[in-house]
Amino acid sequence: MLIPITIAHSSSEPKLPPGLAKISHDEIVLVELQGTLEVESNHPKERNGKLVGTLNIDEITNKPTLLIGHHLLEGKIVSLPKPLAILHRSSVRSSVDVDSEDDVMDGGLDFEEKEEQRSPAWSVVAVVKKKIIFSKRPMPVNIS
Amino acid sequence: MQESSLSFSPISSEEAGYFKLLELTPELVTLIEEATIQHSDGPSLVVKGQPGEDAVICTVDKTYSMRTVGLSNSVLVVTPPQDAFASKFTDNGVVIRDQLNEIIELAPIVPKLHKLSTLLRGREYDEEHDEDASSTPSFTYQDARELIQASDAELNKGLRERRILHINGARPFFLSNQVFTASPGDLRPISLTYLNQLLELVLNLLVSLSQPDTGASVEDISSALANDHDVPRVVSTQVMSWFGDIHQGKWKIDVDCVIREVGLGILRNHKHEPVAGDIFVAQWRSLVGDSFEHAVSLPLLAVSYFGIYIDCQAHLSSLQQGNYLVSTMHDTQYLTYFPASLLPIDPAARFSHLFLTRPRWKGDEISPFLSDIAVNNKERDKLLLKHCRAVTDSEGVWYTARAQYNG
Repeated sequence: MLIPITIAHSSSEPKLPPGLAKISHDEIVLVELQGTLEVESNHPKERNGKLVGTLNIDEITNKPTLLIGHHLLEGKIVSLPKPLAILHRSSVRSSVDVDSEDDVMDGGLDFEEKEEQRSPAWSVVAVVKKKIIFSKRPMPVNIS
Repeated sequence: MQESSLSFSPISSEEAGYFKLLELTPELVTLIEEATIQHSDGPSLVVKGQPGEDAVICTVDKTYSMRTVGLSNSVLVVTPPQDAFASKFTDNGVVIRDQLNEIIELAPIVPKLHKLSTLLRGREYDEEHDEDASSTPSFTYQDARELIQASDAELNKGLRERRILHINGARPFFLSNQVFTASPGDLRPISLTYLNQLLELVLNLLVSLSQPDTGASVEDISSALANDHDVPRVVSTQVMSWFGDIHQGKWKIDVDCVIREVGLGILRNHKHEPVAGDIFVAQWRSLVGDSFEHAVSLPLLAVSYFGIYIDCQAHLSSLQQGNYLVSTMHDTQYLTYFPASLLPIDPAARFSHLFLTRPRWKGDEISPFLSDIAVNNKERDKLLLKHCRAVTDSEGVWYTARAQYNG
């Protein structure tokens, strides 16, 4: 089986806010967290579009911070030991309905099966050389 | 301060698994960056593999193994919201498209061309060619491209080095950037006996037609072969292209390459019965004829002084593959046919085979038998370190088998 990987060029994708765009790539930034973002939900679709927190890049010190609820994470921008290519599977389900994203019913359950039948097409959307890493413990903060 | 609100993408559950991280080597970074600038069309990277095989990723001329490595941390792929959803977010809003817990590591590997010989077994092409052609399903270049885990350039080189013909179709021709054009031809490895007959004919023809070996006319040779010996042109031109360069109808012959193939043809009969060195050379000389006799001694004698093993191909072919062994008895050298291509591919099996043949090896003797399983010298030394014990004495470093207590 052959899976071609195309290399995307001159994309018209929207650009990141300037603070994030200058890290490595103007469309994609990688954020590394210790552990994972756990979301309590009955169905994975529930979290779609929901706010996670606030990401800051301090303009002077260039320190990134991530505020999630009452927890503040301090991080740093590091160079990757080896550059990473970010691959994206090109064909998202064609029938993605903008209005149905809040619908948490079982509408999208057979999504996987449908996708499997299509031949996957991947493309390199970006090559990144730096990432934001949050490796410290979160600090509790009071939001006044 | 620049604040960005971070949210899950509105379609994050649909897109889960749609992003992968691929760790790049410096040459791949250059390749991708150049492709981005040059707006070149078509995929420059291809993932190849059958179900059950370890997938590899191929560029135009290199092959890399792919290995998934788990991360204890998770990596968020963060982008601006896609246009369709932009209205739902603030100006500086960014979204998490995917959460990843693994990256794919790449490492350069030797192309897995070994499968070719299995796939093409029983499809040898010789004088009685066309009778069985219809009975077996054809195996085309396109099939090989899909089934063989190798880049196009490596596959083309492998086909050439394995002396595999494209029959009943245009053979692929190479553009300057090594891109091939489609070729529906059937792949048939040429029978080695037939190849040797052909080469002997060609050598005789060169003399009888008084063609210079620096620029013989392809047309003259192929028509002579077609008329007098029933050799199809598609075969004769391909054979000529394997042994030199064809440029504007002129064939610049790689004489050493032809002579070597003739020599190997003789040697192939001596797989079990060693042949004395001087008898072999005499036979070899008589086969190539008077005008090429001078070339015979060169590759053989130049290296036989090295001692026990001769790497006949070392300076003739980039493959650098071992072909025969030399043993000395009563001050006479005996040669045995011992091609690396018939040895097992698995490193452990290859080493046990080598040490069964010969209990100890010099470094430069053993390395030609490892070149087709190690991608570079560093990898080869790693294999030697892993599977051999090095002993140093007055003659230099010898490699012997490592004790294998667990079988």
